[in-house]
Amino acid sequence: MRKTFTVARWEYLERIKSKAFIISLFLMPIIMVTTGVLPTLLASRPDTESKVIAVIDQSGEFEGELSHVLKERFVLPNGQPNYILRPIPVDPSGDVSGARRLADSLVIAGEIEGYVILPMSMMTDTTVEYRSENIGNFKITERLTGVIRDVITERRLRERGFDPTVVKELTSPIELKTIKLSKTGQEEEAGFAQVFFTAYVFMMMMFFLIMTSGQILVRSILEEKSNRVIEILLSSCRPRDLMAGKIMGLSGLALTQMGFWVAIGLAVSVKFSITLVPFGTAMLLGAYFVLGYLLYASIFVAAGAPVSTEQEAQQINSYLVLILVIPIVVAFVAVQNPNSTLIRILSFIPVLTASMMVLRIPIQMPSALEIILTMVVLALSGLGAMWMAGKVFRTTMLLYGKRPSLREFVSLVRSRER
Amino acid sequence: MLNVTRVRKTFASVIAVDDVSLNVRRGEILGLLGPNGAGKTTTIRMILNIIPPDGGTISFDGREFSEDTRDIVGYLPEERGLYRKSKVLNTILYFARLKGIEADEANRRGYKWLERFDLLTAFERRIDELSKGNQQKVQFIISVLHDPQLVILDEPFSGLDPVNQVVLKDTLMELKQQGKAIILSTHQMDQAEKLCDRICLIDRGKVVLEGSISDVRNRYGRNTLHIEFSGDASFIPRMPWVKTSHLYENSAEIELNDHEHVSTILRELAGRLEITRFENSFPSLNAIFLNLVGGAPGTNGRKEGTG
Repeated sequence: MRKTFTVARWEYLERIKSKAFIISLFLMPIIMVTTGVLPTLLASRPDTESKVIAVIDQSGEFEGELSHVLKERFVLPNGQPNYILRPIPVDPSGDVSGARRLADSLVIAGEIEGYVILPMSMMTDTTVEYRSENIGNFKITERLTGVIRDVITERRLRERGFDPTVVKELTSPIELKTIKLSKTGQEEEAGFAQVFFTAYVFMMMMFFLIMTSGQILVRSILEEKSNRVIEILLSSCRPRDLMAGKIMGLSGLALTQMGFWVAIGLAVSVKFSITLVPFGTAMLLGAYFVLGYLLYASIFVAAGAPVSTEQEAQQINSYLVLILVIPIVVAFVAVQNPNSTLIRILSFIPVLTASMMVLRIPIQMPSALEIILTMVVLALSGLGAMWMAGKVFRTTMLLYGKRPSLREFVSLVRSRER
Repeated sequence: MLNVTRVRKTFASVIAVDDVSLNVRRGEILGLLGPNGAGKTTTIRMILNIIPPDGGTISFDGREFSEDTRDIVGYLPEERGLYRKSKVLNTILYFARLKGIEADEANRRGYKWLERFDLLTAFERRIDELSKGNQQKVQFIISVLHDPQLVILDEPFSGLDPVNQVVLKDTLMELKQQGKAIILSTHQMDQAEKLCDRICLIDRGKVVLEGSISDVRNRYGRNTLHIEFSGDASFIPRMPWVKTSHLYENSAEIELNDHEHVSTILRELAGRLEITRFENSFPSLNAIFLNLVGGAPGTNGRKEGTG
């Protein structure tokens, strides 16, 4: 046991200074913020100042109404209107090219956000052009579409002879407010994007954690084999002390890494006052993290011990990445229907269990039975993998050059310990 | 100290070590000799319990290998290398702690050894900043810092300059004085001849020669000529009195047929060469080695280090 700690301490202290570790430490939060939190933050964040949108109204009949509805519907927190409509006069001949040139120059000068061209026959023509430097701003386009549609519909209804008050009633806008229900019956307001990204971020965290440690582990084994330090090590301690020490040291690294990320996550959530997950859920996620991590660490040991060249190490890593990538691929399906049979089945495949559950829990809490069963499956396969890794490690650490064939591999695992 | 009795080891279909027995006493250096692929490294690994033997016994002071045994042996592998990115002293301390030495004590001894090998200024440097020779000295320190009772050194002199070779030789002699048992595996026969008390020559997994240096020499008798000369000596192997010969640029070692008259031979040689040294003595270990394992070492195609 003492030797295990000595190895663990060495692995931890030496690796924590390594470039690979430091890069991964910062890379993950950067990716987390850019792919997850940032779009959600941007999308849900209200504008702070009014935006000017120009309108070229060929018939001249809609501009006033449009301006009125926009002002009424979208107001900034400071009480100012969110959008100010600026009419651009059209040549009496009906030619819009002059107005368009003027509007284009205004867009490019940055004076207006963009502009819409309302055609002459607004009542029948259903195409409205929106021109802007930034057409990816779905918030503006969505809002404009809604307002224009409502105005036109209202007008169409009125022309058919409906009472204006009835029309108002009939066309009142509908707002969709999404509320996530948790098992305990608590409500929390959360958009699809937030739920999805939270789940996704947790899964990515796990992916990175496992990948970093796995790579460090395989690399450290490779180094010890190629510089033959392994012979000194194995003459100083039992293979199982060495393996346990390595896994322990790396788990320490992973904990450090996770602690760092959690600290960043907390800082972000406090700053922007978002609750990512409740405490109980976090504990559950943590349990899956640890169990999944141990399973993968053992797999990496078993796969890495026979490796003796850089090329082989990369091959091994890419196979393992493939397995880890599966949950990322099915994440979209899982979010839409976290309790589908496919997702449930995938949750019981040990190498996928941890990532699948980490993905599912923030979206919709699986049943207690399913949680217990998956945990048992994961823990048992973790123990099994560790036992196997111990055998493989002991027998293949001294193999240089040739990698054992599958058959030899199996016989190694089955060979009796001395 | 160490008793190896009839150990065997087979890899797939190759018999790497076949019935090897050897023993090392305290205060003695045993030369473990043999061509490449003879089974030396495999034997050493079995002694160190890195790989289990298929048969035979290995005992330390009469006791079988136990976990405590690991702490009383020190090993310098043939192929060198250390953690490239790690600091010198840190690395030394790590291995010392693995051998059960407390941090403070390891630190104290580490400085002492570094000083002895003139590496004191390098203790904070990274391993890959050191020269090959210095890395090797660090590795030697690692193999002896924990004050092992049995020290196994595989080619400890290769890569060292003459000055450091002397430092290492003195250190080995000192370890011997302290009553350590030392196994020295080497290809350098002259070194083995000078340093070892006894030798054990392994070829193709079997012990082919064993005994003290003087025993071995006596066994081969005094019918060897050591000569130094100038001139063209290429005629020597064809002479009728030559049993075997090893020619070098300006010297030769000639094993004579039985009952040859040395003085006749001297006259004959003096007629054709400028002789500067002429000695009738024991064969060198090198000649014995070459005769026993049949020609140049390493031609049998087997590679050492795969097991």
